[in-house]
Amino acid sequence: MRQTYGKQLPGMRLTDLPGKLIVIEGTDGAGRSTQINLLKPWLEELGHAVLDTGMTRSRLAGEGIRRAKERNNLGRVTQSLFYATDFIDRLEKEIVPALRAGFIVLTDRYIYSLMARAIVRGMEPNWIRSIYSLALKPDAVFYLRIGIDDLLPRVVFSRGFDYWESGMDLFPGQDIYEGFCNYQAALLKEFDRLAEEYKFEIVEASADANKVCEQLKKKILGIVEPVHAETPIAKLSETLVHSLADRIMAKLTLNGNGDTTYTEKTLENAFSLVPADVPAPLAPR
Amino acid sequence: MGISTSIHIGPYEIFYPLKPSVSSVQQYGQHNLPGRLFIVEGIDGSGKSTQLSLLHKWLEARGYGVVFSEWNSSPLVKDTTKLGKKKKLLTPATFSLVHATDFADRTEHSILPFLKAGAIVLCDRYIYTAFARDAARGMDGDWLRDLYGFAVKPTAAFYFRVPLETAIGRLTGARDGFKYYEAGLDLGLTLDAEDSFRLFQGRILEEYEKMIPEFGLTVIDATMPVEAQQAQVRQIVQTHLDSAKELRIHP
Repeated sequence: MRQTYGKQLPGMRLTDLPGKLIVIEGTDGAGRSTQINLLKPWLEELGHAVLDTGMTRSRLAGEGIRRAKERNNLGRVTQSLFYATDFIDRLEKEIVPALRAGFIVLTDRYIYSLMARAIVRGMEPNWIRSIYSLALKPDAVFYLRIGIDDLLPRVVFSRGFDYWESGMDLFPGQDIYEGFCNYQAALLKEFDRLAEEYKFEIVEASADANKVCEQLKKKILGIVEPVHAETPIAKLSETLVHSLADRIMAKLTLNGNGDTTYTEKTLENAFSLVPADVPAPLAPR
Repeated sequence: MGISTSIHIGPYEIFYPLKPSVSSVQQYGQHNLPGRLFIVEGIDGSGKSTQLSLLHKWLEARGYGVVFSEWNSSPLVKDTTKLGKKKKLLTPATFSLVHATDFADRTEHSILPFLKAGAIVLCDRYIYTAFARDAARGMDGDWLRDLYGFAVKPTAAFYFRVPLETAIGRLTGARDGFKYYEAGLDLGLTLDAEDSFRLFQGRILEEYEKMIPEFGLTVIDATMPVEAQQAQVRQIVQTHLDSAKELRIHP
């Protein structure tokens, strides 16, 4: 049975959510999306179905937030609640259905970033915490930690300074460099506090992306259930079976008959896992 | 866990932002707002909007600076709400949050600045609408009260109490059909729009009744003639204006 941070959404069952919820947290430029782009294909290769999601990607509020940020009159309370709307929409419409279907959900930021940004903007911590008490507790939170000194060159020499990521709504009239340093320092401080409170797993993110990824993979292998041909069918969700079979078929198609990784035996094993009542698509496409 | 869900910040004085960690921006909570905030509540068909518009005219005629703000009218948020309603994307939780976002924008741009400037702000529906509707949709009452913890406490809150059948009689004569969310059709109580409206608004009435003592709402009997209701409202508003001479607009 899953747990929330205190309150339950109306009509949401917390049982039968066999997937895994893995959070990648960190400030802007810490390399979160790079890591997710490396982890997703790796997990899929292992046979897991993966959903990746992140801030402002909701169908309901994503576009509204983008439009509001283009204007110069998005207030701080409004901003915090707009993001909460976006988050809850994704929680209900993406994250929970995926967990129910046995997916591994990789989320680029979670409630912690949203809380840190709100608190740095002066919101009462208990207020923002109460709003996100509806959130599910994740299986793991990996916090990509990076100091400002390592962060600066990444930001300066990639996308440049962003108005909101430099807290310019908080420091109007300030130099954007000063704004960035002040804002990110405040965020890092808040993240460190949250890391302790919510027991984040801290990963030093100043290292090379591949090295960071190796660390993350090791940790993730300790969380996800391995997909073995021997795994009893009762433990495999329909989605996973589909995913597994699809992947094997795709591999065979790609590599032709010369493929040695996937023998006929492997294929038979995989197919033997598929219960009779699971419909297509199992045939090669 | 470790989350405190019962933040006793009431009775809805503004509490934010308490400690801005990176800036020395003004703290709203420290303001002793010179304006006055009057709000009306009640189910659809209770006649509250008519009463508020009569109050508005009276106050203006007496020379006060009056500002009006309506539920669900933020220019920043309305496209999102519209999308959610049109495509039926809203769940009880996102219905609640999108309306709270709308209310936050109006608080930050249409209510607080005018109260600071000494105006009389009139609101057609306020946080009690959210408490009633969202609780009727199954949202947790304490969570809702926390969510709206940033709201300004009204100078006076009028609740126009009307029996359900009277309200329905007024509505069916005045407009065609019931809207999806307004009738609570998202809850799947029944397929018939009027039956659903009746069930949903019935739940809302129960929630309003509970809030009368909780928030000290001023109850107006909305079955009385319009003039009699307005006389009561003006009498009560008057008592809050005596000490507020600075609110008058000087030519």
